[in-house]
Amino acid sequence: MNNSAPSQLQNTVIIASFEVKKILFNTRGLIAIAAFALVWLLILLYPIKDASEYLLDPSFRQLLVNLFGENSLNQLFSWKVAEMAIFWVIALFIFPLFSISVAADQFASDKSRGSFRFLTLRTSRDSLYFGRFCGSLLIQSILVLITMIATILLSVSRDPSLFLPALTSGVFASINIIIVLMPYTALMGILSLYANSSKQATIYAILLWAILFIISSFFSDHPSVIAALQWVLPGAQISQMINTHGLGSFMYAPMPLLQTLVLLTLGRLYMKRSAI
Amino acid sequence: MSLIHCHNLTKNYASKRALNQVNLSLEAGQPIALVGPNGAGKTTLFSLLCGYIQPSSGKVTLFGHPPGSQALLGKVASLPQDASLDPNLTIMTQLSLFARLQGFSNQDAEQEALRVLDLVGLVDNCNQKPTALSHGMGKRVSIAQALIGSPELVLLDEPTAGLDPANAKVIRHLVKSQSKNTTFVISSHNLDELEKLCDQVLYLDNGQLSQSVSMNDSQQQNYLTLTMSQCEVEVLVASISAMSDIITVEQKQDNEFIIQHDKANIEIALFTLFSEQGWQYKSLLKGRRLEEKLFS
Repeated sequence: MNNSAPSQLQNTVIIASFEVKKILFNTRGLIAIAAFALVWLLILLYPIKDASEYLLDPSFRQLLVNLFGENSLNQLFSWKVAEMAIFWVIALFIFPLFSISVAADQFASDKSRGSFRFLTLRTSRDSLYFGRFCGSLLIQSILVLITMIATILLSVSRDPSLFLPALTSGVFASINIIIVLMPYTALMGILSLYANSSKQATIYAILLWAILFIISSFFSDHPSVIAALQWVLPGAQISQMINTHGLGSFMYAPMPLLQTLVLLTLGRLYMKRSAI
Repeated sequence: MSLIHCHNLTKNYASKRALNQVNLSLEAGQPIALVGPNGAGKTTLFSLLCGYIQPSSGKVTLFGHPPGSQALLGKVASLPQDASLDPNLTIMTQLSLFARLQGFSNQDAEQEALRVLDLVGLVDNCNQKPTALSHGMGKRVSIAQALIGSPELVLLDEPTAGLDPANAKVIRHLVKSQSKNTTFVISSHNLDELEKLCDQVLYLDNGQLSQSVSMNDSQQQNYLTLTMSQCEVEVLVASISAMSDIITVEQKQDNEFIIQHDKANIEIALFTLFSEQGWQYKSLLKGRRLEEKLFS
């Protein structure tokens, strides 16, 4: 048997793929996926399946205009595949919530039971940190892709000619949702490093968002402060993203990408310096 | 190049100083023991050597590299105190992952996991989860993980704590058998065990390295530790003291005596004395026990 010292990148890939394997080939992971599938089954069966009727219904359209303003949701009605439009809106709000839960245990359990100590003598802290981040993002990407494929199948079952537009919209929507999820995953990584359990990390996340929400409400009369806070708070751009479509949605991508970069840099520093 | 080199190594936890300016240089070879009372700083020293924590001041290197550096990955392994494996994954899955991170291919990683589990007699439990194992078995699995890839340095923090005597013996045998290629540093309160395994003993007390003793030093040759079954203590001490080349005879416990002498093969004269007096002895050990060397 030969063992040559693996590179940091190789170990990052091993750790990321092990995270995915842990979810897909583990009873607890499969239960979590089943719960996720059940929630999405209900979403697919009710709001998304009935999407075409809703979006073509003038009274529903008027309701949205009354709620959000004249031009705030006009792009939603320009989607060629109505199911995909509803998928986009729901996914933009639901997946970040899933992200908080899925990414909450990137490090907390390992740190509290000491199993980190078995890993750090075999691989660098960088590989461990980025491997766990990539693994967590990969799991969420798989879930996004599964729901996207289910939505395509649902729209094709209504009208087979919608396959190509549904696929195109689905790919753009999925990439955008994955970009949205990146800062959530990076932030949960930091909170998970600080917390002693995934539950504690989730509580910290709720507190953080609540505090930032209160601050932004307090400064609602100061647009410059609100604009600055949007660059700090992951997901602040989501409500504006609803009214985008296709390539247009990418105009909001720099904000989460930059947030991810900053959060990953901070998390890496914290990981390097923290006692395990 | 030193195996382990510490220069003025200090670690503070808030206002408490766990390690105080420890200077130490160890070479590769036979197992090295680290002893000391509870709270002396043994686990802190191990944690610093493994790079789990950072020193407050001072410097530490292993094989010339700071702990946690890329050059040491897979070369240094450890049995950390109070660390446990993931309860949701099988032992095989976790040990295979460790092996893969050390550069083994998928197939070789499984073979390596089985090899180290075989060393601790737990191959049959490879597909169980850690929660299905007893405390002792869990400890043996943790020792097994430290042997993956035959590292050059293995730090064992209380390896036999909580093990039954039979399994403790298995671990001692394992350490002995692996000592040809691996240097073990063992922290333990079991001095008898360390005496059997180690040549060099480091004594930490109150965060300071207060002693470093060798079990094979030349001075050791001038001592005998005698344990008697039954005897009249005063007569025994007087009889041995009266023999030529005896420097001192000191009673340590009920029937245990430390004899300092200045003559090779003094044992023959002692056996003759026992035979003449009809005394039964339990053991005659060349040198002093570790406990005696450290605390006398």
